[in-house]
Amino acid sequence: MLDFDVSAHFTDADTAFDVAADLSVADGETLVLLGPSGSGKTLLLEVLAGFHDHGGRVELDGRDVTDDPPEAREFGFVFQNYALFPHLTPRENVAFGARYHDDPRNPDELLDALGVGDLADRSVETLSGGERQRVALARALAVRPAAFLLDEPLSALDAPTRDDLRGDLIDTLADETAVYVTHDRTTARAVADRVAVIADGRVRQVGTVADVFDRPNSSFVAQFTGANCVPSTILPDDVRADIDAERVAFRPEHVELGGTDATADVVRVVREDATHRITLRVDGVEFDALGSAPDGNRVSVGFHRDHIHPIEQV
Amino acid sequence: MSSNSRIATRPLVLAGVVVQLAAFAVSLELGEPTAYAVFAVLSAGALALGTLPGLFVPPLAFVLLLALGGSGFLYAGAGGALLLALALIATDRPPRKGVVGLAAAVAIGALLYVSWGFLADFGLVGYALALVGFVALAGALAAVAGAGGFDTVFALVGACILLALGLPILMIVGRQDPGLVLEKAANPEVQRSFYLTIFAPLLATLFTLSLGVPLAYLLARGFPGRPLVESLVDLPLVVPHSVAGLAVLFAFGRNAAFPNMDVYPTLLGMVLAMAFVSAPFAVNAAREGFEATDDHLAWAARSLGANRWETFKRVEAPLAVRGVLTGGVLAWARCVSEFGAVAVVAYNVDVFYPPAGSDVTAQHAPVYIFRTFTSQGLDDSGAVAALLLVLVAVIFVVVRTVAYDDGGWP
Repeated sequence: MLDFDVSAHFTDADTAFDVAADLSVADGETLVLLGPSGSGKTLLLEVLAGFHDHGGRVELDGRDVTDDPPEAREFGFVFQNYALFPHLTPRENVAFGARYHDDPRNPDELLDALGVGDLADRSVETLSGGERQRVALARALAVRPAAFLLDEPLSALDAPTRDDLRGDLIDTLADETAVYVTHDRTTARAVADRVAVIADGRVRQVGTVADVFDRPNSSFVAQFTGANCVPSTILPDDVRADIDAERVAFRPEHVELGGTDATADVVRVVREDATHRITLRVDGVEFDALGSAPDGNRVSVGFHRDHIHPIEQV
Repeated sequence: MSSNSRIATRPLVLAGVVVQLAAFAVSLELGEPTAYAVFAVLSAGALALGTLPGLFVPPLAFVLLLALGGSGFLYAGAGGALLLALALIATDRPPRKGVVGLAAAVAIGALLYVSWGFLADFGLVGYALALVGFVALAGALAAVAGAGGFDTVFALVGACILLALGLPILMIVGRQDPGLVLEKAANPEVQRSFYLTIFAPLLATLFTLSLGVPLAYLLARGFPGRPLVESLVDLPLVVPHSVAGLAVLFAFGRNAAFPNMDVYPTLLGMVLAMAFVSAPFAVNAAREGFEATDDHLAWAARSLGANRWETFKRVEAPLAVRGVLTGGVLAWARCVSEFGAVAVVAYNVDVFYPPAGSDVTAQHAPVYIFRTFTSQGLDDSGAVAALLLVLVAVIFVVVRTVAYDDGGWP
């Protein structure tokens, strides 16, 4: 169980930035901090790890670690740029923390389990990005941390390597308590038990994947999670009367192509993996749908009340 | 630049330089610089044909030979060097243009053969004019031949500054009377001076590094007021050396900051003076070493359980060791070359000299050489200076080769 309510103030040459968050992560749960670049999600993670001075409180498994230095907090940190020690071999990297812990895990077994056992004695410089991140993951696992903090561990990798490692990461984190930072909503949906959307150093919405992706609480969260956020005027009158909000959000996959609620102009069709993202226009309002490419330049659509969510705030 | 080199692997280049120096010495001894000229041209050409950096070698050899004076045969050899330089450029190009480049080189060689001797009659101005014309013409012809006029001009101009740096050093080593050099080498006074010249800078460097590395680390991590501290560290660079010596006496001399302490004229004073002038080199190089290390590595170590000391010991220090060593080598070299501050603080010092088993009075080599120059003249001081240069060069090469994994050479 990780429970924190922290705030920190950062100043650069001529800018100031504040981050603050009050969240908790249950045992075995993965909380994803999802936010755009510069939203402060990485800073928040570094604050939890104890890399920056901060106010508030951090509790890990019932122990208050607020005043502890990073080495006493028992977090396993995985960095975007791997941060492997270049003067040590992968095995030495994984064994680095062993002397500071009572019951460290065996480096060779960890490297084997993550599929990089045969690279144990190579120079770190010769490893690919995916291999390096696997070694970094093994290194964090080796000291049996109470919780994991992962800072965009996949975003420096190319797509096939990313997909590959994402699977292993999900397996690895299955029973671990973890905070996972990413700007990528696909990754967020894949790894998260719960999601916290961050912007400008503040938490904008917290909830399960379904909460945040299907029922965004603001137009910012709707847009960042890839939902349509449009004026309710495009909806059929009965649905609109039921919802009673100026703006509504709904996911592209919930727009029923061939429905009977409205007729839309097809603005654009973009192939997206095995399906198509179809940008439609009704009464001058554009929104996206997912599905097979339509034949003509007009298509009828349907909206289901269950999937339409009112948006109260920006 | 050297990524496309074909033959210029490090040992080969080093061997080339060593053979060149040996041949140079032998030819001077035999009074046959022409023999050396031919040899230099051929070996330079061999290097040049293999690499782009080799482009520097033939024009260097060429101007060097002219500076040493010689015959018409020498000029012809020099022309050949230029030909090889352009042939090098041509080797990177399609064959047809290569032929054009070679033809251009032959033309330049012939032109130089005629003009250089003529212009040399005008002394300094003539040499300067010939040099400018030589560079411009070579660049123009290389451009016409489609063979890299830019590279040619920059390489030739670069070779001129290398000559300005290298020629005096070569001449002071090459133009010595071997008998006099041997006599100086056997002189106990010279030996004691050289001992002091290695020993005192070593002490000063250890002193500077031991105090400077923590400062370098803090500067690399940054703190409020860092620019001010950096200015203080660099301050000795702008203090005239004799003034630095006076400053050391004002701080550590009689009736100075520390009562009952007087470093004039002692080994301690000498070390302090050397530390004063060399500290910026040690601190700045070490700081760059620490700065080159990613902050995330220290964070990774901390999150794995290592405290600040352990993180420094196991991650930050090992990764900065090259910068620290570089700082040490630079600081040591700076100490060896210091004259002004040492002459003020410790003209004569008493130092324990192991071969004698007791204290002896000695002088720092730059001071000793200056004294020899004023009392005995250019020949005697030149012989000692040549010995010092060779000694320092040997130590420099050994330290770099031993201290760095890759030998520290390109």
